[in-house]
Amino acid sequence: MGLTLLGGLLFSGCVQMAKPESFFEMTPEMAQHRALQTRMFETSNEKELLSASAAVLQDLGFQIEESAVGVGMLRAAKERSAREAGQEIMQGFLLILFAITGKAYIMPVDLHQQINATLVTRRSETDSSRFLVRILFHRSIWKGDGNAGDQAIPPGQQRMEMIHDAKIYQQFFAKLSKSVFLEAHQI
Amino acid sequence: MNVNARTGLFVLGLAFLLQACAGPQKVPKNLLSLTDSQMKIRSFQTRTFDFSDQNKVLRGVVAALQDLGFIIERANAPMGLITAGKFAGGGLSGFVELTVTVRKKGEQRTEVRVNALFNTRPIEDPKIYQNFFIAVQRSLFIPG
Repeated sequence: MGLTLLGGLLFSGCVQMAKPESFFEMTPEMAQHRALQTRMFETSNEKELLSASAAVLQDLGFQIEESAVGVGMLRAAKERSAREAGQEIMQGFLLILFAITGKAYIMPVDLHQQINATLVTRRSETDSSRFLVRILFHRSIWKGDGNAGDQAIPPGQQRMEMIHDAKIYQQFFAKLSKSVFLEAHQI
Repeated sequence: MNVNARTGLFVLGLAFLLQACAGPQKVPKNLLSLTDSQMKIRSFQTRTFDFSDQNKVLRGVVAALQDLGFIIERANAPMGLITAGKFAGGGLSGFVELTVTVRKKGEQRTEVRVNALFNTRPIEDPKIYQNFFIAVQRSLFIPG
């Protein structure tokens, strides 16, 4: 038993060592994400595309945090509550379940989230009269505090996830295409 | 409490007291000096491309980073500077950060230099940098 555990620990060490190589490795789903996040516009006016994108993000409640015209880059963020009914019901359910067994357990739930967008425009290589717009949405979520028996679970545990929901990207590009009076072509 | 435990406690207490006497740590002398390993890492971190247009290479790097799921945090075109990051993912907890500088080298070439950190510690594995440059190359030569 002890040996198995030790072996497990050793091997988990190996996994950790091998992993960081993947930071810059291309995976098949990256091409899918690119298609999801990119649209092509038939315009050579990059500045207008950028400022229209900024305006759309503003309409969606984002604050522009960083902009670099020379690279065609925008970064924006908005803060929202991350409370979800499902989690709160689960919290209540677990509280009652543990209370029956005589233990106190309050599961931490998601409280707050920051939704971020990074947008980059780039001239199409195949046709210089066209521009590509690529936007990446991701969010950071902060958990509230909890309690397990006598042990308090501190608040502020953070996790981050990329948003790969096609609807969100479609919505953004629909708005952008309206704003520049141009059709957003899939690549 | 026996005598041994009491002496132990006394020594421990004394150690705590004396700790206050130690002055602030001196700045290490080699803080800014280059070590051999740093020189070696620098060569992994640098690659020159046959493009005369610095901005084109810079945008190629940005596109490659986006392909790799990085979030572009800051960019400065005139200086050729990009700061980006992403959560490690794949069962690995932590944050990968990097700074890229893109500079013209002579008339025909552009040099790309990248520094990557994982959980604030420098990445020293040449394989990782190789992968990065493969992605940049793809984005420059096989544009989507």
